[in-house]
Amino acid sequence: MQLKKIVSAVALASVATFVQAEGKSYADFPVTVKGYQGNAEHSVAYTGQMARHTLHNSLKKLVGSSDGTGSAEQLAKLNAYFAGKDAGRAIIDPRSKDGFPVLQTEVDQLSKGKNLAGKAYKGAVSGWPGSMTGQEVLAFMLEKAAASEKGYDKLHGLDYVQLVSKFAMGAVFYNQAVDNYLDEKLAADTKPNNKAYKDGKPYTGKEHVWDEAFGYFGAPAHALELTPAQVYNIAKGKDLQAADKDGDGKVSLYTEMAYAHAYYAAAADKGGKTNYLHTITQAFVDGRQLITDADGKALSDSERAKLREYAAVIADNWEKVLAEAVFKYAGSTYKDIEALNAALESGEDVGKIVRKYAKHWGELKGFAMAMQVSGKDLGAAGVQLDRLIGFSPVMIGNTQITGIDADGNYQQSNTVSLDEYMLQMLKVQQLMVDEFGVEARGKDVLASLDNLVEKLGAKAAEAEND
Amino acid sequence: MMFETFFTDYYQSISETLLSPRKRVFWGYLLLAGLIGLIWLKWRTRGSWSEQLRSILSPSVWWSESARADYKILLINRAFMLGIAPALFTQTALATAIFLQLYELFGSRPLPASLLPDWGVAICFTLFFFLLDDFARYFVHMIMHRIPALWAFHKVHHSARTMTPFTVLRTHPVEGILFGLRSVCVQGISIGLFLFLFGDQVDLVTVLGVNIFVFVFNVAGSNLRHSHVAIHYWPWLEKILISPAQHQIHHSTLPRHFDRNFGAVLAIWDRIGGSLTLSEPETELKFGVSDRVTAGEQSLKNLYLAPFGEAFRSLVRLLRKNTQQR
Repeated sequence: MQLKKIVSAVALASVATFVQAEGKSYADFPVTVKGYQGNAEHSVAYTGQMARHTLHNSLKKLVGSSDGTGSAEQLAKLNAYFAGKDAGRAIIDPRSKDGFPVLQTEVDQLSKGKNLAGKAYKGAVSGWPGSMTGQEVLAFMLEKAAASEKGYDKLHGLDYVQLVSKFAMGAVFYNQAVDNYLDEKLAADTKPNNKAYKDGKPYTGKEHVWDEAFGYFGAPAHALELTPAQVYNIAKGKDLQAADKDGDGKVSLYTEMAYAHAYYAAAADKGGKTNYLHTITQAFVDGRQLITDADGKALSDSERAKLREYAAVIADNWEKVLAEAVFKYAGSTYKDIEALNAALESGEDVGKIVRKYAKHWGELKGFAMAMQVSGKDLGAAGVQLDRLIGFSPVMIGNTQITGIDADGNYQQSNTVSLDEYMLQMLKVQQLMVDEFGVEARGKDVLASLDNLVEKLGAKAAEAEND
Repeated sequence: MMFETFFTDYYQSISETLLSPRKRVFWGYLLLAGLIGLIWLKWRTRGSWSEQLRSILSPSVWWSESARADYKILLINRAFMLGIAPALFTQTALATAIFLQLYELFGSRPLPASLLPDWGVAICFTLFFFLLDDFARYFVHMIMHRIPALWAFHKVHHSARTMTPFTVLRTHPVEGILFGLRSVCVQGISIGLFLFLFGDQVDLVTVLGVNIFVFVFNVAGSNLRHSHVAIHYWPWLEKILISPAQHQIHHSTLPRHFDRNFGAVLAIWDRIGGSLTLSEPETELKFGVSDRVTAGEQSLKNLYLAPFGEAFRSLVRLLRKNTQQR
């Protein structure tokens, strides 16, 4: 009852906020910088973030086409999109395709001199062997990827396409937004609102800080006008009509494309049980409106407090999006091992199953590591997550990576059986439910449970005598 | 807003009681019970159809002081159960915990669909759930009679002087909580165990969305157990299934009938526990806790509050006895 009351109150409140700024785009906010001399009409700018999204998308493609030689040349190819800042880099993904033409073809068309490495998490990563920072882990993975054909290390079951991509999204986008822009950069004396971000810029310090955080989320500016399914399709390069807000027949990779965690939020919301995409985007729009309304003056304490509330909504829901992904891929991994066991039993070929298992595990691991780079200590939950998943999938023969030697070679040992590892995957799902309250719950191993409770009469308490 | 939600939920809960085939007093079951009762009376006793119908619908039963208390208790309990329901329904958590415990214990799960075909799993699950649930009902019921502090609350149900199908809902809220916990355990154990063994194969065999056993039990006139129509079965069948007449014996004021026939559907639990009594068609039964009618025994104040004092006193007695023994 109590819960119902709270739920209806929250529902009402969210409807109220939704009505307040329904479908507003994250665009066209006016210039408020005092004494601005230039001719910009609007103050929104997050081009650097979108350049990095295309770098990440492209890097993922490149890892997937690694020749596996480990040559300096191959590594340099990958590094160009990770640490490099060179001019003239082509956008390898997203690229124009039939029915979905994109506007930009080079990273520089969005923003010049950007890379991923410079913005990658500088703290220690506990979920990967070798006591490395987030940035070092990514560099290490790329080195390994350069030496693995198509980015896949068959021996250890490591899929670097997934590992690099999923962890980079966390270590760069999530970390930068949640740990930097929506955290310390909201302080009163950092990037204040009564000054231009930099001399001559059409936006204030706080306006730009907020914009950059929004950019990292990866949602199209008009996300509030779109359904989660549409945003999902846009990221997949499908729904031109939904993407092309300005009607020029092309998808702008700056304002009209969907990337990274906005895509995963949409993927979770598609099922209809959650509303992460719109909740996060709405908080971004509302926060931006608040800053704009300050009209180029320094934000008062109460305004900053309100802004921090929006930031908290964003951070909480963003974390949940990652937790949903961890939940989902733990379920996929569980089902892959189940299929693997069945195939081993019947003597079928396991090659394809193992490949799928490695892919799903890579996604699981990447997201689990991403969850731990927000600057927030997950405490016991983080330790459990790392231990349950380990440093690699458990392979046939019950071997798993347990560390790396001084030369960066993986060390394998016997840890747990495949059956025990399945149980660990289940516990990962349980952990996501208990600690992060995931609700979309894709690939729920215990999906039939709720269904059965319902069938048996969920509300059996009847005070019915015999 | 809060009150509005509450009343919507309350109204829904009350109407569901009569409209959902999941509920014992669903109108369809009541109608069938009436029909079965009518045919039984016509066959066993003299009198025209209309006389029999009048006797079944007699206001001296349906609008007696005792029956009126039933209705009031029903209405009050519904509000109470709405309030505490969310705290009670933890079967999902219990089922998950049991599933994980079994997994830890055995180290692995059977391969999907490796033990039984889908229909076999559904039949096993439905049967298992029915047996466990019926046993749990018997067991909790027996405990409520044998432990004085619990009997204080269960007595509210037994204080009915006339019985209508709605007497099934004449329950003290404390007892309602215990019943809630009972269902949580039964559901949690059944679901946890079967999900561990059979995964996504687990299903319930249902009719109109209701567990088939519950459906059959109710269609077969379960509502007559709380009525004055003493349908009895052949003695051999009464050793397997509790007949309405056997349950009426459970409500009888005759001391030799005290603490007999605790079972809900199956009689086997009482047989094992030595508490089974077959029906006695020749004995005229009176219902209640004792023959002596006391003033105010059907008052809400008495029904809701007296059990607390009585339970407390019995606990104090128990404590004293224990300390004296030492």
